[in-house]
Order: sequence, then structure tokens, then C-alpha cells
Amino acid sequence: MNPRPFTRRGVLAGIAATPVAALTACNGVQGGADAAAADFPTRAVDFWVPFDPGGSGDLVSRALAKAAEEPLGESLPVTNKPGANGAVGLKELLAGDADGYTISLAVKSLFAITPLAVEDPDAVVIEDFRIITTLTNEAYVLVVHADSAYRTLDDLLAASAVNYATTGVGTGSQLSAQLLFVGAGVDATDVPFDGGASAVTALLGQEVDAVSASLAETMPQIEAGELRAIAVFSEERSPFLNDVPTAMEAGYDVVVDQRRFVVAPAAVDDEVAGVLSLAFEDAKESPEYGQFLQDNYMDRWEVDNLEAKAHLSEAAEQYAALAEDAGLQLGDGS
Amino acid sequence: MSGAVMAEPASEAPQEETFEEARPGGRVQAVVAGALPVAIGAFAAWLAFGLRIGSLTDPGPGLWPLIVAGLLVACGVGITVVAATAKAHAPNGTEAFTRGTTAVLCAAGALAVYASLFEVVGFEAPTLLLLFAWLRFLGRESWPSSAVIAVVATAAAYALFILGLGVPLPHLIAL
Amino acid sequence: MDFSSVLSGFAVAFEPQNLLFCLIGVTVGMLIGVLPGLGPAATIAILLPITYSLEPTAAVIMLAGIFYGAQYGGTITSVLLRMPGEASTVVTALDGHALARRGEAGPALGVAAIASFIGGTASILLLTFIAPALAGVALAFGPAEYTVLALIGIFLVGTLGSGSLWKSAAAAALGLLIATVGLDPLLGTPRFTFGTDQLADGIDFTIVAMGLFGVGEILYNLEHRDRPQPRVPAFGRAIPGRMHWLRSRMAILRGSVTGFVLGILPGGGATMSSLVSYAVEKRVAKDPSRFGKGAIEGVAGPESANNAAATSSFIPLLTLGIPANATMAVLFGALMLQGITPGPGLMNDHPDVFWGVVNSMYVGNLLLLALSIPLIGVFVRMLKVRPGVLAPLTVVITMLGVYSIRNNAFDMLLVVGLGLLGYGMRKLGFEPGPFVLAFVLGSLLEASFRRSMRLFGGDVTEFVQRPVSGVLVAVLVLTVVVVPLLRGVRARQSAAAARVTAE
Repeated sequence: MNPRPFTRRGVLAGIAATPVAALTACNGVQGGADAAAADFPTRAVDFWVPFDPGGSGDLVSRALAKAAEEPLGESLPVTNKPGANGAVGLKELLAGDADGYTISLAVKSLFAITPLAVEDPDAVVIEDFRIITTLTNEAYVLVVHADSAYRTLDDLLAASAVNYATTGVGTGSQLSAQLLFVGAGVDATDVPFDGGASAVTALLGQEVDAVSASLAETMPQIEAGELRAIAVFSEERSPFLNDVPTAMEAGYDVVVDQRRFVVAPAAVDDEVAGVLSLAFEDAKESPEYGQFLQDNYMDRWEVDNLEAKAHLSEAAEQYAALAEDAGLQLGDGS
Repeated sequence: MSGAVMAEPASEAPQEETFEEARPGGRVQAVVAGALPVAIGAFAAWLAFGLRIGSLTDPGPGLWPLIVAGLLVACGVGITVVAATAKAHAPNGTEAFTRGTTAVLCAAGALAVYASLFEVVGFEAPTLLLLFAWLRFLGRESWPSSAVIAVVATAAAYALFILGLGVPLPHLIAL
Repeated sequence: MDFSSVLSGFAVAFEPQNLLFCLIGVTVGMLIGVLPGLGPAATIAILLPITYSLEPTAAVIMLAGIFYGAQYGGTITSVLLRMPGEASTVVTALDGHALARRGEAGPALGVAAIASFIGGTASILLLTFIAPALAGVALAFGPAEYTVLALIGIFLVGTLGSGSLWKSAAAAALGLLIATVGLDPLLGTPRFTFGTDQLADGIDFTIVAMGLFGVGEILYNLEHRDRPQPRVPAFGRAIPGRMHWLRSRMAILRGSVTGFVLGILPGGGATMSSLVSYAVEKRVAKDPSRFGKGAIEGVAGPESANNAAATSSFIPLLTLGIPANATMAVLFGALMLQGITPGPGLMNDHPDVFWGVVNSMYVGNLLLLALSIPLIGVFVRMLKVRPGVLAPLTVVITMLGVYSIRNNAFDMLLVVGLGLLGYGMRKLGFEPGPFVLAFVLGSLLEASFRRSMRLFGGDVTEFVQRPVSGVLVAVLVLTVVVVPLLRGVRARQSAAAARVTAE
């Protein structure tokens, strides 16, 4: 490391910038509590992704943040804050200032499915947040290996015993498959893997009979003819898999999906939230963002704040009721 | 970070520790080296019993931690037996703690303070202070050179991590 | 195989723009490899926005360069400061640092760079010719195979220690215990999380390695800062001497093959390969007692293995669309953002991307070798910096790197705690190596075993009935039971013979 050429400039610039910085730009460290909401934003808005880089949530955030820079007039640097299906990042968001300079991606499964598997008295609830904008709806799809003897959903459900991989405990992958198999009375064993990639690998190696995973995790293999989709867990057929029936069509009332949206702490100023919402509405119209969704097999979910909150609370109740009726145990139940 | 605490080790007589090889620990320390794994293993096993154990063919969440904790206890017992039956001055792989341990604890404390200040006031001031304190009191650099190195290194870290690589560290100074 | 597309891939790799991005990639990679804690996955994620404006091939060439460049750079801190930044360089730190203390830092790093180059290049050659055929290997490994593989790995960890066997085993057991922190992999039950969801996903490997090796080492040296530092006689040239080379060349050859094969396996392949390579070198050495005290083969073998593994870990990504590790997951994302889907169709749909990226790795490895040799001379000078100055600088860089893993200050506290643990272990005569490697393999072993039990319906005999896991079980039994038994018998016989001749 030979930083000498940098240092002198760095020091001078640092000294020169200090007073200005202390007065105005605090870049995420201190909230500008006195900053008038009227001229928001005066500096970059931090866009947090409470997941690891590389996954669907990370990618959609980056595509959105990039498209929103122009309408917002400030940059939106993306920062990954992974942990506990997003709970770590969102708790940190709530602990910070509600000035709108820090916003985060959030997912439906954290509010609607994780509580079924993991008991956490301090779990984040949707009421703590204000939904700035809603983004995507990603269907879960049940796939089998291309060489599998099970050609259709009925074939699979007629099997005497089924092993299926899930992408983890307390995921939509696990919930959708369990609801289906329990509903159909199949003797099925779930084998949770560590994420979509390893679950799909297990299916490609024919270690398991089936996997329920998101379209983004399975479409490349489906298109290459390595895997066969036999059902989607959405209300209507997916535009990306028009010839695959829904589970509902087959008579099983299982609708499980993942939805993604952007949140700020509930205390955020109305005007600030409005500015952000407008910028994201513009961003979602951009052709690049549209192309991204198309390339990544994501459907749009674009509703207002109230409808989104209503959907999330209903989904949480509905999943809990379904799981209760079917006697499901996502986690250990302890 | 208290300057007085940091300065304390500086008053030691340096000739105390001038030997090349560290002084081996005594038998007591060697036995402690075995007792600690036993204690940690027993504690972990106690926690594991609070989880469902299940069976080998249908393992619950507690089974594997219990096995590992048992392994740890067994190893600890092995170490203790070897240490207790060894000859009085036989080398046992341990090193005696010295007065320098205070410096180690101070350094760890300073790092913990650093980590907790980091997200509150940005990385610049804590980095500068940590570097300066470490250089001056633990590294025994002179006042001026401690100050210069601390400032230069903080600025270099800023240039490298924030300007160069774009790592999202919390920082106060926006360039 | 369609050789015209391989050749046109060279044309792509040699386009001036792509050469430039390859150079940028490997240079950045080497830099972040040298910075402890800052890993390739985080860096690639940070640099993703820059790649939006590039064309896909150039973008991936650059990002791939960061990944394998970081492997070269990581070796430097492992050897000089005993700070392994990746699980796969933990083993290198053992003998590499011992060599550096003996004043052979130059040759150690020189051999490491050459071994890395040979391992990486051999792996690309193999990849070019047999990648499509080998894609299936990754799929032949299910939970059962990973269980046995991880078990073999944990027994190999036992060969690392150079002190008391009980203490090595205790350190490994503690590593296994720390690996259980987090939500249960199959049931989601919190284990040892003490109610905080900061620990829900377990502790990141880098934090464990930085704590036990990096911060632990610095704290340990702090205690004895008044002891006159042993003069490091000379750093030696970066070009290794004849003896180093003679000792290393077979190790490099064996390491390259081991690394290539194990690297194909998603999850733990690179770590296992360096471990297996080290164990093999120690077994075949005439005098195994040199290991841990500065045996050059202990650097050469694992270094060629982990670089070969880094290259072959592209195989599952490019041919199956399966990311083998965290960095590959980010690369997967980078390709998706470019509108390219990595997977079985990639080689046919985008041959220019596939072969352009693969062939750019020849160039990248060459560039890295060319960069390394002169840079070693510069880095070795770090050892001349007074420890009182070097220590705080290293600590700060480590802390910043650790923060960047999850952008989380809690992780910095964890690393300090683990640093104290590392210091305490050192004082009580426990080695960090077995701890850290057992930590990596522990979660693999437990999760794979429990998945296997679910798949087999609780029937343990399936482990020997499946062909691949059956073979692995045989290997395990041979190396762990039969060979030590035979050795014991032979040792007793020769001791008896010695007694006879003495009489």
C-alpha cells in the first residue's frame, strides 16, 4: 500500500470540507433533524438492501435505485445489510432517524411467513413502517427434474412418498409446498436447503423429487429443458409460464408469492415520503427497469400504501390460518 | 479511551520482559487450559438440553450441539489429566500471563469503544483517536509522529475505502 | 467441442478494451485481497453499478478478475501478517508465516505466486477441455456425499496441529460449537443466539478468521511489545531458489489437480482442496515434522490448490447456473443485470461471453504473476515497519473490512471478542488453525448429515450404498483407521528392531 500521493490532497480536502460538512451534509451519520422537508432531498439517499448481494432482492433494488436517480435528483447508493431474512437491516432502519435519507427494501415473507417458523417477541411488524412504493410480485413454481416420471402435478400427488427440497425454513418455498402436499394428503418429507441455488442443485442431481422456488431461481433451468414446471402457486397463470397450470386450477387452494416493496420508518414526514414515492413512480416507468423485470421473471406489483399494508396483514392472517388448519410446522414449533 | 489507563503499561520496567522466549505457564495454568473447555462444553450442553434433542435418525436442533459439547468436555478432561500428571516443570504449551496482559485488555477495550462509536459519529474521529492512542501509548511512538501517522493514515483510509473503493462506511465528511 | 468458438474467445479476450478491464479487475482484486476483511463478494457488489455501462463480456471479465486476483492478494497477508482473509488461505498461513519469521518471506511469496499461477492456468486448461463433461460432477454430490466429505475434512484438520493432540481436538471442537450459533438449518430454532437476530444467520467465516488469526495475533504481540524483536535477517529474493523449487514442484502439480476437482463442488470445495493438499504433502514428505515450522511445500501445494479451485468454481456457474460460493452469487447477479442468464444455455447462446471470460483468465493469471513478483519486494518491506506502527494500522484496516461484510457494527464487536478468544487460546497453547477450519466444515457436516437423514428416512446404511458416498466412506476409513494403524504397527516393529540391534 503506498497511499502517499493521495494523502496530502485527502487531508487538505478534508480540512476544507469539515466546516461545511458539519453544517449541512451529514451523510447518514446524523440526521438533519432541522432540515426542512420542503427542499428534500439535499443529499444522497441511502437505499438499504437487508439481503446478501446477488439475490433477487439485491438486483431489483439496484435496478430501481439506478432508475430513480434522475427523477430524485440525488444518488441512491445501495448498501447491503443482510441478516435474519431482512430483520437485522430493518431493525437498524427503525433505530435510525426517520428523515427519509435512509430507506430500505422489505419483503412480504418477513412479515407473513417468518413469524410462522421463528418465534421472535421483538419481530418487526409492518405497522412500524411506511410503505414508500411497492415493486414486484414473484410467483413460486413447483418444478421436477426433466427426467422425472412425474409429468404433471397429479402424477406427483399420486406418488406414495415424495422428498422435496425447499430454499430454507420459513420461506414461501416451504410454505407453498407444505400446504400443497398436506392438502393433497401426500406422504412428503421436506428437506430445507441453504437458499435457492443449493435446492435447485439438489433437484438437478435428482436427490429430491421436487422443489418449490421462485421463477428467478428456476427459469434458466426450465428454459434449458433441465427442469419441468408442473404448477405455479399464483392466482392466475404466470405470463412467463403460460402453459403451466396454477395449483388452484388443479383444485388446491394454495396461493403463495413473494412481494417486494420499499419502506421508511413510520414517523417519516409526509412530504418527504411523497417526494420519494413520486421519484420511484417515475423510475418504475423507465424502460431499463421494465426490461430488468422482464429479464428476471418478475411481475409488477404496483399499489398504494394502504392497499399494500392491507394485503400484507391479510396475507399474514391467511397464511397463519392455513398453516393452523393444515397442522403445518414450518419450524420446530418450540 | 482513557489516556491514563493507556499510559499505565508504559511505566513498566522494560527489562522485565527482555527474554526471547515467552515464559511457560505453570501447572495451574495448564490445568486451567483443560478446565475451561470442560466449563464451556458443559455450559453449551446445558443450553443444548433446552432444545429438542431427537435421535440420531431424526435429529432435533439440540443433538449436534450436544455431541460437539460432549467432544469439547472430553478433550478438556484429556488436557486436564495430561497436565495434572505431568512433571512439575515439563513444558505444557502454555505461556504465563504477564503485566503486558493489561495492554492487551486496554487494546481490546479501545477497539470495542471504537466499534460502538463507529456508526454514531462516523469513522473519521474514532479512527483518528484509536490510531493516535495506540501509537502513542501502546506503540510508544513520540507525540508528533503519533499525531502525524494517525492523521495521514485516517486520510489514507478515507481515500482508499470511501473515495477509491466506494465502501459504504458511515462518515461525516462528504467530499 | 467447437474449437472455433474457443479461438474466437481468445480474440474477445485480447480486444484492447477487455485486456484493460482484465488488468483493472486483477489489480483491484489483488488490492482487496491484501486488505484483510474486505472480500471479493463485497467488492464486486460495490462495483456493480460501474459495470452497468460496460458491455457484458468486459464487465464479467473485470469482476472475475477481482475474484481470482483476491486469491493472490490474500496470500500476501496470510504469509506476512498471519491474516488469512479467505477460508482457503488459512492453511497457507501456517507454514507461510513460519517461513516469513525465518526471513524467507520473499521465497515463500514467490513460490506462492508461481504455484497460484500454475494452479490457476492448469485449471483453466482443464476447464477448457472438459468443463461440459465435468459439470455433472457437481450434481453427483448430494447431501450424503457432502456429509462424508466434511467428515474427511474434519479428520484432516487433526493433521494440521503441531502441538498437543488433545488441544488441537479441543480447538476443533470449539470451532464446531461456534459453527452451531444461529438458526437451526433445518428447523429454524434459534441456537446460542442469546435472543439477538444479529446472530440468526450465524457468524461469518471472515469474522472468525480475522478474530482468531488477525486480531488475536496483534493482541498477542502487544503483550510482548517490549521484547526485542528478533531481527529478520534478510527477506530473500522473490524468485525462489533451487531448493525451494525442487521441493515445491510436485506439490504444485498435486495441488493443481486436487484443487481443480474439489473446486467444482459448490460449497466448501476450495477450503477442502487446500486442506487435502496440505494433508497430502505432509503425508508424502520425508520429514513431516517440518510442517508448521516453515515447509515450503505447505505453501506451494495449498496455494496451487486454492487457485485451481477458484477457477474451477466457475464451472457450475457457467455450465449449470449454480453459484458455488458467495462471490459466484454476486457474479450471477452481475450477469443477470446484463441480461445474460448463466446456465446450461450460456455456452450456446453467448459463446463470446463464455469463452471470452474463460480465456481472459489466462491473461489475468499472467498479469497477476507479472504484478506479484515486483510487488512482493514492496510488500515484504512491510515487515520492516516497526510493530508499534504496523499493528494499529492493520487493526484499523481489519475493522473497516469487517464492517464492510454486512455493513454492521455488531460484527466489529464480534471480531474484538473473537480476538480476545484467540489471544487467550494462544496463551493456553491452543492453535487457531483447527478451530477456524472446523468452524467452516462444521455447518456443512451437520446440515448435510441431517438432510441425508431426511432423504434416507433415517437409514444410515444408505451412506455406503450410494456409489460416490460409498467410495468416500472407503477413503475415510482408509485414511483415518487403516493408515494410522499400519503406521503404528510399523513404528512398533522398527522400535523393536532397534532394540534388537542395540542389544
